[in-house]
Amino acid sequence: MTFGYLIVVSKNDSVDYLKLAYALALSIKNTQRKGFDKVALVTDNIKDVEKLKSPWVFNNVIEWNQETFWDGRSWMDKLSPWDHTICLDADMLFFRDYSHWVKYFIENSELYIPNKAYTYRGETVKDSYYRKTFEHNDLPNLYSFYTFFKKDSKLSEEFFSLGRHILKNPNEFKNLFLGNYLPKVVGTDEAFSLAAKILDIQDDISYDLEFPRVVHLKPMIQNWPWPADKVSDHVGFYFDLQGKLKIGNYQQQDIVHYNEKNYVTDEIISILEEILWKK
Amino acid sequence: MKNGILIFAHNSRDIDYALMSLVSAKFAKTNLQVPVSLVVDKSTVEWMQTSNIYDLSQEIFDKIIEIEKPVTQNIRVLNDGYTSKTVPFINSNRASVWDLTPYDRTLLIDSDFLIMSNRLNEYWDVNSNVMLSPAMQDVRGDRKGILDSWVSETGIPLYWATTVMFTKNNESKIFFDLVDVIRTNYNYFADLFRFNPKQYRNDIAFSIAKHMLNGFDTGAENLPPILTLLDKDLIHSVGKNQLRVYLNDNMSEDQVVIASIKDLDVHVMNKQSIIRNAKEFLEIL
Repeated sequence: MTFGYLIVVSKNDSVDYLKLAYALALSIKNTQRKGFDKVALVTDNIKDVEKLKSPWVFNNVIEWNQETFWDGRSWMDKLSPWDHTICLDADMLFFRDYSHWVKYFIENSELYIPNKAYTYRGETVKDSYYRKTFEHNDLPNLYSFYTFFKKDSKLSEEFFSLGRHILKNPNEFKNLFLGNYLPKVVGTDEAFSLAAKILDIQDDISYDLEFPRVVHLKPMIQNWPWPADKVSDHVGFYFDLQGKLKIGNYQQQDIVHYNEKNYVTDEIISILEEILWKK
Repeated sequence: MKNGILIFAHNSRDIDYALMSLVSAKFAKTNLQVPVSLVVDKSTVEWMQTSNIYDLSQEIFDKIIEIEKPVTQNIRVLNDGYTSKTVPFINSNRASVWDLTPYDRTLLIDSDFLIMSNRLNEYWDVNSNVMLSPAMQDVRGDRKGILDSWVSETGIPLYWATTVMFTKNNESKIFFDLVDVIRTNYNYFADLFRFNPKQYRNDIAFSIAKHMLNGFDTGAENLPPILTLLDKDLIHSVGKNQLRVYLNDNMSEDQVVIASIKDLDVHVMNKQSIIRNAKEFLEIL
């Protein structure tokens, strides 16, 4: 049995997703137990991976260029080299050992997608500012940023096939199922939630759990009394030499989905590399 | 282990904290059946003697601990119903409670906190070195602002130091030492935790200490939330473990709600209202 994380990136003019994936892989290697620290990367540009200082943080590098941007993630079941996989968004960082969550999923689940996210202060996100489509169309509130699945699973296969079909035919599905509030774009979250609803499997793949805990740093859902454009306009990000992060006055213990893509600087990469090299 | 309650009272020209403490102590002793001690300064004791409450105080209080009056430049606006006054506020020595308490397990309460139930007795044996109250609850329910719940809009939760329970040991010593560091470097911590440092608040210093000692995170065992009558509210009359009150509206003087609070602990922020009714309180209890 193999387990590993999967990160899917593709070339983008404004964001260096490979750099973000590299930071995430470094943070995984720095914090996860042996056996729970493998990372596979799916990329459309394998040459850039070789330019990284420690490309070996990716245990597998898979070249693939059939889809761009987030659509590629819906192929995670086909692309993953692992028996059990957690597919992550690239703009995330790990801060402590979360292997016990993985162990639970391997033992108890074929497919799991979280239905909760947290603010930097550890509160459950309640605001539906970015989730109007979900709210008005009664979609399950799924967050695809941390998707666990078993490769050899009928449930996963059906789910991802339908997810891909929705992403390939967004207008048809949008008009048929999301008429109460049309999303501007049918993204992976919308596609996965709709697939779960159509297959009527939301209670099987997203039942109530206290984990995974992922801090979702979109600005309008931080329970602030004012509207905000960027989280970093209001609270500082303090990344120390031990690879620990404080946001405002809060030490971050959970996975941080930082959202502001320029947050990971070369300096942060150097700190993460240094920690790994000394490990 | 000896349990007991401690109240600080430093009179100002405007507020007779000693008289309030007497009322508060009598409520606490009646309902919790534990000894209550008072921390005072010389001038407050002199006023207690002049106003003929010193003998009664000696009867009610287990110990009267006299200390130097702290120097203060702290001022605050206090409402009494719809009238208000800017008054000095002597609250900077609360962290010294660790050194001053004669008890092993202490419940520190503000002198305007009236214990009208035995609910706090459930917390003496909780295995936690320092417990605060995590929230205030407005009696009316609709007058709580964001800064009643948070130290700042983006910051940490505001705990209420109206009630603090602690065991006298090394861990609680660290807590109170840290509170004192925060107090003496208040402007620095105001920058760090993004609050207005104009007036020193124990609630803020205690909240920061709690947050820091919890690994810059929230959580841990707490006392119950503080049921609060705002300083715009007025006490109409008193009964045994009961207050009948006028709850005022922030916006309009015409929107008064009459309510009765019975068998519940309550923080009465209108200090003059307690003082006006002190005689009735002391007779009834």
